[in-house]
Amino acid sequence: MPSDAGSVAAPAATDDLLGSPEPVLAGATIGKSSGRRTLGLVGQYGLLVVLATIVLAPVALSLMQALSPPFPYIDAGKPLHPVAVDWKDRSWLSGGAFSVVARTALVALALAWVQLRSAGGTARHLSPLATPRRLLAVVAGTVVLAVLVTGIWEASYSRSSATAWWWLAAVFGVAATQLIGLGDIRPVWKPLLVSLLISVAVVTFATIAFGTSVWSRGWDQGDLGPAMTRSFSVTVLITVAQVVTSILAAYAFAFLRFPLKTLIFALFMGTLLLPLEVTLLANVQTIRELGWINSNAGLVAPFAATAFGTFLIRQGFKGVPPEIQDATRLDGYGHMAFLWRFAVPLTRPVIASFTVISALGAWNQYLWPQAVIDDSRYQTAQIRLKSIVGTEVANANVGVAAAILVAIPVVLLLIAFQRQIIRGLTAGAVKG
Amino acid sequence: MRRRYSAREVALAFVLLLPSIVVFVAFFYRPFLNLLHWGTFESRRNGAYFEDVGLTQYREQLTGDDFREGLWHSVQFVLYTVPAGLVLGVLLAVAAHRRLKGIKAFQAIFSSTLASSVAVTSVIFFYLFNPVVGLVATNWLNDPTWAMFAVSLSSIWQNMGLAFVIVLAGLQAVPDEVMEAATLDGYGPVRRLLRITLPLISPVLLFLLVVLVIFGLQAFAQVDIITKGGPVSATETLVFKINRLNRPDNIGIGAVYSVGLFFVTLVVTAVQFTILERRVHYAQ
Repeated sequence: MPSDAGSVAAPAATDDLLGSPEPVLAGATIGKSSGRRTLGLVGQYGLLVVLATIVLAPVALSLMQALSPPFPYIDAGKPLHPVAVDWKDRSWLSGGAFSVVARTALVALALAWVQLRSAGGTARHLSPLATPRRLLAVVAGTVVLAVLVTGIWEASYSRSSATAWWWLAAVFGVAATQLIGLGDIRPVWKPLLVSLLISVAVVTFATIAFGTSVWSRGWDQGDLGPAMTRSFSVTVLITVAQVVTSILAAYAFAFLRFPLKTLIFALFMGTLLLPLEVTLLANVQTIRELGWINSNAGLVAPFAATAFGTFLIRQGFKGVPPEIQDATRLDGYGHMAFLWRFAVPLTRPVIASFTVISALGAWNQYLWPQAVIDDSRYQTAQIRLKSIVGTEVANANVGVAAAILVAIPVVLLLIAFQRQIIRGLTAGAVKG
Repeated sequence: MRRRYSAREVALAFVLLLPSIVVFVAFFYRPFLNLLHWGTFESRRNGAYFEDVGLTQYREQLTGDDFREGLWHSVQFVLYTVPAGLVLGVLLAVAAHRRLKGIKAFQAIFSSTLASSVAVTSVIFFYLFNPVVGLVATNWLNDPTWAMFAVSLSSIWQNMGLAFVIVLAGLQAVPDEVMEAATLDGYGPVRRLLRITLPLISPVLLFLLVVLVIFGLQAFAQVDIITKGGPVSATETLVFKINRLNRPDNIGIGAVYSVGLFFVTLVVTAVQFTILERRVHYAQ
């Protein structure tokens, strides 16, 4: 685009604009009156909210669907209202030791995290949390929530009209406990607003996630326990295999001299043109001949090596300064010592990105598992979903709940490794 | 000055490459050659024995109605999902590429569909569109003309996160000075987007285009869960048909379809690169 490039580079003649840099809204509203700037601000947030609504709509609708009554209730003309949801536990302390400990820990962790962040702490810097007031806020918040949410459940279970009052009491009760820890923040409206928002979020989450029976029914009827276990083990096996084989091959391509290197590298990259969709039938035949149908070996073997990982890690290895290799050579380190003690630690960001992407791909696999698993006892979680859809058409809430449960590990992975995932996904798009 | 290869280094390289080579030969190259070969064998008496018919089966099957139908459905799926994916990716990324308070929260929301696998997305949309229990109760899934559109909607939604993340990475690589200079030249937001931003991130858009087209041509789980190919084979994509032919008695036809899919993907990708590469602006 030569003509555009010329006009971009043309000297700016308007001096008054240069004098007023706008740190918050660079570009978009430079040189406009403050009234129009506010309007622009409202417009920008408005657009963002509209887009966020579009993105979240299917999830929100699915949650509504998961929490709405089973199909027969709709048919009977019952209203689509959360009160009609089947409720599980009568109190916070019922439902088995594990779930009691897990839900208490989850709520306490959430509240502790908010208190920590408001005090300016981070996951690696926990000391700001260790003040009596903040710890009290966490403990009191958890206890108050446990007591009052039990009221919500009991009222919901008996379809009592007091449900809404219990809910309001829980929201304001938890908000009050959070104020103990947040009270010293100024201006005054800030801690009030923050504790109220946290409280609404925590109470809603606790009510829906721990109180309704749809999650355990989705888990049980979908038989997700064994399926998730299998998915976990297959994901771990594939990820470890891919990372190890990719590191080894990348090392050979980056640091070793051997004949036909270019040709072998081209043949490695050539596998990218042969996706599983193309080789599916012949690969199933191979697995059948090996007797690996319905086994972990069959699920893992075709994915034990990947050209994408080899390429990515080779790029990382090429960034290791040659001086380091020379220096370690002089110090008497062999290739293996150099690889594991220097090359791998130095390219940790790239390897971390690839590891997470690889795990994500392995967990989400669909085509291959459904082709080599024909016994429902060996199905992975993603494949289970198809069976659930087939059998639970009327109980939409159970099916949707099962799907959401299967997505939770990926949500956790995404939250924990957001940076690595984004770097891995965009590795091919942006250089540098 | 070419140093001679050190025997130890070559041996080490061989050992390091061996695991990958075994996998690539066993599960990539050998199966592909097998498929090429199997395609020349036609099933007789429901797979009781196979007859070598040379290229006849390739010719008949690749020009046959069933393959063409599958190819058309795959192309249809690509036409529905790819332009929407590109537009939504740019829209989301441009909206979220700002220095506003709380923008990180919006970026997290926009990339959140990354957390949903194809199977999870498909289940969600299967129930949403269900004519009886769905909250967006439509008759799309029972209507041959609308079924593919409904299936595509699930993929459009699922691809949003990926498209957003990729385009945003491209936008973040554009230097701020370029945009400031364009603003000072009196370029409005729309003209800035069309004449400066999009040309500058065109390599990223090409990458996204290729990724989305390949995803589209390989679509399977969406169809398998949401419509099971129906109604009346209206959503049977190429990969769906290949998976259905995953039976010993049909292995010859399945092999031909697989090789067909390989060449379709190869040609489409090559065309995208050769035609669009010239129009793409690479910064020096």
